[in-house]
Amino acid sequence: MIYLYAIAEELDDLPEVLGVDGAPLVHGSAAGLDLVLSEHAAGELDASEEAVLAHARVVEALVARSAALLPARFGRGFRDPDALREAIEGRAASLREALAQVRGCVEVGVRVLRPEPAPPPAAESGRAYMEARLAHTEEARELHEPLAALARAATRTVGATPRLLLSGAYLVEPGELDAFRSRVSELEAAHPELTFVTTGPWPPYSFAPGGET
Amino acid sequence: MSTVPERPLEQQITLLELVDRVLNKGVTLTGDITLSVADVDLVYVGLRLLLTTVSTMERLAAE
Repeated sequence: MIYLYAIAEELDDLPEVLGVDGAPLVHGSAAGLDLVLSEHAAGELDASEEAVLAHARVVEALVARSAALLPARFGRGFRDPDALREAIEGRAASLREALAQVRGCVEVGVRVLRPEPAPPPAAESGRAYMEARLAHTEEARELHEPLAALARAATRTVGATPRLLLSGAYLVEPGELDAFRSRVSELEAAHPELTFVTTGPWPPYSFAPGGET
Repeated sequence: MSTVPERPLEQQITLLELVDRVLNKGVTLTGDITLSVADVDLVYVGLRLLLTTVSTMERLAAE
């Protein structure tokens, strides 16, 4: 089985880091893109916290060695080199587009949490429920847009719990990082009731194409 | 009673954010084989831990 860590452009050499299960890294290529892989016997790999961290370490080590990089999602393998090559070739255009977008940028994560315990999910009326949803959406937008304005690209997910007001990822040029952090501080000062959690810089996990497009 | 976390809070949040990214973001391709990872469970475990951690931070900040 072939395990995939990342798709890159202009990858120099492989880092001195071992992959999942201590496997050595392999430098592959398909459709003119660099691939970082490791090879495993079928059915040999198990998902574990250690494996997740090994995957993350490989991706992290590759960032400085490539001009642009898209991390692969954890736990994805391919039967053989042909299956991987076909998968890459079938998506080459959208992968190249995504690589051009992330080139030279880092990802910053911002989550914003409400202070109070979440209101009961069973709303008293459909109308009250819709109004609460609209207010939530509007509030999240007011936090997201000023941050997105400083980013090359931005994405946010709808809160998995009502307490999670905003869960955003921002693709920021390193030169803009200070300005971005200042804007988070401004929003924090303007909303003392909310808790802001900023993380990163990360490799651009949230800007790698995940669909079947 | 919950156990006392051994890692500093900031480091725990970073770890959770990292695990969320590695498991739920990143490129997926047609024809790949997914390892038997309990994706959904891990996500919710991570999210619950994040919320607990933030509540703990708020408590600490208030003291």
